[in-house]
Amino acid sequence: MSYHISLNRLRLLTAAAMVTVAGLSSATAAELIVARSVDADNLDGYKTSNTQSLQITNLIYDTLLTMDKDGSIHPGLASEWSVSDDGKTYAFTIRDGVTCHDGSTFDAAAAKASLDRALDPATVNPSLSAWGPITGSAAEGNVLTVTLSEPYGPFTSFLTSIQAPFMCPSSFAEAQFKPIGTGPFKLASWMRNDSIVLEANGDYHNTNPLIDNPGKPHLDKLTFKVIPEAVARMAALRSGEADLVEPSLEEATDLKDDENFKVYAAELSGQQVLAAFTWKIKPLDNPDIRKAIGMAMNRDAYASIAFEGLVNTANCPVAPNLFSTDEDLCASWGVTYDPEGAKALMEAAGYTADNPLKVKLLVHKLPGWDQMHQIMQQDLLAINVQAEIETREVAAFFDHMSVVNEKTDGEPAVWTMGMSGVDPDYLYFLWKRPGFVNMGLNEDLDALLEEQRRLSGDARAAKIHEAEKYLMENAYAIPLLSPGWGWLMASGAKVDGFKMGFMVSLLFNDVTVAE
Amino acid sequence: MTSTTVTAATLRSLPFTVILGTGLALLIIAAALLAPYLAPFDPMRMAAGPRLAAPSAAHLFGTDEFGRDLLSRVLMGGRLSLGIGVAAVVSGLAIGGLLGLLAAFSGRLVQAVLLRVIDVLYSFPDTLIALALVAFLGPGIENATLAIAISLVPFYARVTYGLAAAERAKPYIEAAQLAGVRPGRLVRVHVMPNIGQSLIVMGTLGFSSAILSAAGLSFLGLGVQPPSPEWGAILASGRNYITKAPWILLFPGVAICLTVLSFNLIGDSLRDLVDPRRKGRP
Amino acid sequence: MQLPLRRKVERDFWENRLLMLFLILKRALVAFLTVLVVIVLSGVLIHVVPGDPVTAMMAQSVTATPEAMAEMRARLGLDLPVWQQVGLYAWHVLQGDLGTSIRSSESVAQLLLQRLPNTFSLAVSGLVIALAIGIPLGFLAAVNRGRLADTAVMVIAVLGVSIPAFWLGLILMQVFSLKLGWLPVAGSGWRNIILPAFTLGLTYCALVARMTRSALIEVLAEDYIRTARARGLRERQVLLVHALRPALISIVTVVGLVFAYLLGGQVIIENVFSWNGIGRLAVQAMLERDYPMIQGFIVVFATSVVIVSMLIDILYGFLDPRMRQK
Repeated sequence: MSYHISLNRLRLLTAAAMVTVAGLSSATAAELIVARSVDADNLDGYKTSNTQSLQITNLIYDTLLTMDKDGSIHPGLASEWSVSDDGKTYAFTIRDGVTCHDGSTFDAAAAKASLDRALDPATVNPSLSAWGPITGSAAEGNVLTVTLSEPYGPFTSFLTSIQAPFMCPSSFAEAQFKPIGTGPFKLASWMRNDSIVLEANGDYHNTNPLIDNPGKPHLDKLTFKVIPEAVARMAALRSGEADLVEPSLEEATDLKDDENFKVYAAELSGQQVLAAFTWKIKPLDNPDIRKAIGMAMNRDAYASIAFEGLVNTANCPVAPNLFSTDEDLCASWGVTYDPEGAKALMEAAGYTADNPLKVKLLVHKLPGWDQMHQIMQQDLLAINVQAEIETREVAAFFDHMSVVNEKTDGEPAVWTMGMSGVDPDYLYFLWKRPGFVNMGLNEDLDALLEEQRRLSGDARAAKIHEAEKYLMENAYAIPLLSPGWGWLMASGAKVDGFKMGFMVSLLFNDVTVAE
Repeated sequence: MTSTTVTAATLRSLPFTVILGTGLALLIIAAALLAPYLAPFDPMRMAAGPRLAAPSAAHLFGTDEFGRDLLSRVLMGGRLSLGIGVAAVVSGLAIGGLLGLLAAFSGRLVQAVLLRVIDVLYSFPDTLIALALVAFLGPGIENATLAIAISLVPFYARVTYGLAAAERAKPYIEAAQLAGVRPGRLVRVHVMPNIGQSLIVMGTLGFSSAILSAAGLSFLGLGVQPPSPEWGAILASGRNYITKAPWILLFPGVAICLTVLSFNLIGDSLRDLVDPRRKGRP
Repeated sequence: MQLPLRRKVERDFWENRLLMLFLILKRALVAFLTVLVVIVLSGVLIHVVPGDPVTAMMAQSVTATPEAMAEMRARLGLDLPVWQQVGLYAWHVLQGDLGTSIRSSESVAQLLLQRLPNTFSLAVSGLVIALAIGIPLGFLAAVNRGRLADTAVMVIAVLGVSIPAFWLGLILMQVFSLKLGWLPVAGSGWRNIILPAFTLGLTYCALVARMTRSALIEVLAEDYIRTARARGLRERQVLLVHALRPALISIVTVVGLVFAYLLGGQVIIENVFSWNGIGRLAVQAMLERDYPMIQGFIVVFATSVVIVSMLIDILYGFLDPRMRQK
């Protein structure tokens, strides 16, 4: 860390000796241009849940707590925290001297105001249920007290996630929202679907264990450009128009072998890709049919061909590396690839090559996914299941799914989706009735999911395993891959120190760019 | 009889471009019809060859990212593209033709309103109308075909109106009207045979535009969905391989160009024959 | 005898002014009616949507309670009868309110207006290139009518309208950006406009060439050209002085049409080259089913086309006095 500073200083001295003042200012301002495929849709951290938006809000705002690679909880805006014995009251001590980008002070009262806004029904916060059963909060001195109606095991994990930013009250003091936070970067300008320009926060103080740099980011300016076409992004990286890009899957493998480039893959993505069924519609109400379809899915081919070998197959309905996830255990519950056995099951149910089962394969667009679904279609055809692919954009897709998942008749559908988080509690978000896009199951599973929220430690892990076992033995969920979207970045060799955190957050605090 | 009849003499003096266009079109139609017999592989079969293999003796057009044979896909894609074109043109011509006739043989108010709306829609590029409709209807081959058909309606309605109105001004129509022939019969027996040929020629012009619209929609992901080997859809899924496997982009693109070119060559020359007074409107 | 002549000139002058004014008023009225028709049509379109726009809007929100959705429905006026909704929509649009984007919850009008300059700069660059290539080609063909040069130009012209613009764009991108590395592929600087502008220009120059050709052929058949030739004027002078000018005037009328087609083709080209115009915004909205955004795009696009064609009609009225009589 100090090494970089002394190097910069040295460079500054030599530069000052040689060039004019104008040249000097450009030589010392460290700048990084990032190119992504999509823009953020909202910089109000309580009004968005998509990865591209949260990647930006996470740079502007801080979280109350942070998480290390091993899942342990560390200080964030709160320097200390404690929980009452009954697990229903949390006290967070807000660190002294935290200032917002506009100069105002971030204290316990500000934290309370932000929390209140996150929970206000009028905010329409998409992550509301993940905040837990909060009934009230109070700010006293530098302590924020939060009370819950019942114990909520995932609470502190959630408070480290990019879905739980704390914003300065000046952000939402007026009708027009202004993104003002305490994070490492502040917003300079935003031209929708074109670019977001951020500037370093000179007063930044870091506590995130994933980050080395304790203070102001080395970069002065950070620009996010939107370049939807993968080909164009790759060309921008090669020509130097951009320093860091979301690579195209097709070329990421080539970049890996090229010493002029670096490829970063998020290890802590918390992402999970799975296939699910409209199990209320015949014949998918039959677990054997669902199992047969699961057995036909060649996950190794999806990973190696559709995703060019850049992802792994996953066994659990929750991503690897998260609390309690045990890949070996899950493997013993779930189906294994066996097209012959699957075909036999289908034929036993009366579906032959001449009389195939017709289903829809409902999916949304993402790199790699499109290819995966085409292979999947062939896999299903091999067991006499004729699947018609219907692709939608993400938002339209989930809109459609919430309608389809409620139907009890009509054409049966197999569908795929991805979910990410920092805690297996996203099972609750997905499967507890009515569930995400109405994918909730039944009373039994609801009970399991409710109970795990109230427990902690091994008891909670056991309950989560029970829920996972239920989902997999009845083949409601077929886990496919992890990670699955936006987890890859690529840069030129001169970029150093770039990291990816939980839920593919982008960490720029340690980034330096060599001349 | 009338000026729109193509006589043997005019046929003999057909320009080279028509012959070229017709030859090309027949070739393409034959290839599309015989695709199941001509295609060396099942167009959907993955790993028919190595992934992203360059054109070779085994795979004349190379293979795509799944190792599917591109020649087979382009051949089968022709069936889809031509099928969409035919369906869209036939339904567009039917609806547009009816509207045009209605405008030509109805009262002043209906005529004025119809013409105004048709003119408004006609001032927009048809690809754009198709795009807007698909945006609301949702993607898929049926919706795309429907949207393209509707996008052609203003053009066909305008053309039919023009031809029918010119026909109506002829003395024999007036004579028939005076003789008490009802409008329906008038159109069926007198007007249609006289403008039918011209309409068919206009049909071929709409056809090339329909093919282009279909390819554009599929390219944007709004039309035919993968893995269907529609040409625009192949281009869309192959675009990320532009540096690694440019042949995935080359062959379907050439197929679109040749198809559209052949019908444009035919339509253009025939248009001059059936409508000598027309100006340079597209 | 001088006085009546002066009177006649004066009267003609005022009559001309009046006719011009009348033409402008008439064209403006037609343009307004056209835009109104489009607004109503796009207001109706949302009702052909399978499903419900409010579900689309709130799908990703876990707090989409029935109450919240009913409130949203009421706010959008979706609980009213269709004709009232369409009327309400038209009323809002006429006041410049195109609604709010489902995805970004920002004003549709503002989002579109921000990008309009980008779209127009690309469209105008494309048009200039199309005219710069198309007019000389058409001229060449008309002068050499029936000869090899004519056939060659016409074959190029047919070829031009037969190549899908997006495919040509990809090919140009592959050659000039990826292979040769001469030009950037994406973004919005001046160097970035070159490739998409040429893609559009090359695609639509064929249309211009054809129109120029037929306009010039028509002019060359006029009596006064024959007279000029008979008077022994040099062919060069006949073509450049007597034929080209009137031909160009009639080309003006079709420029509006070319511009509309070019704007249409541009929707796809903006997506190929990641050009930040309304076309890219629109396709994004179409893929995301952001209905207010799509409606807004249709209205803004149609208005642009209508205004351009109105201006060209009026310009034509100035250039060609006969138009005013009609």
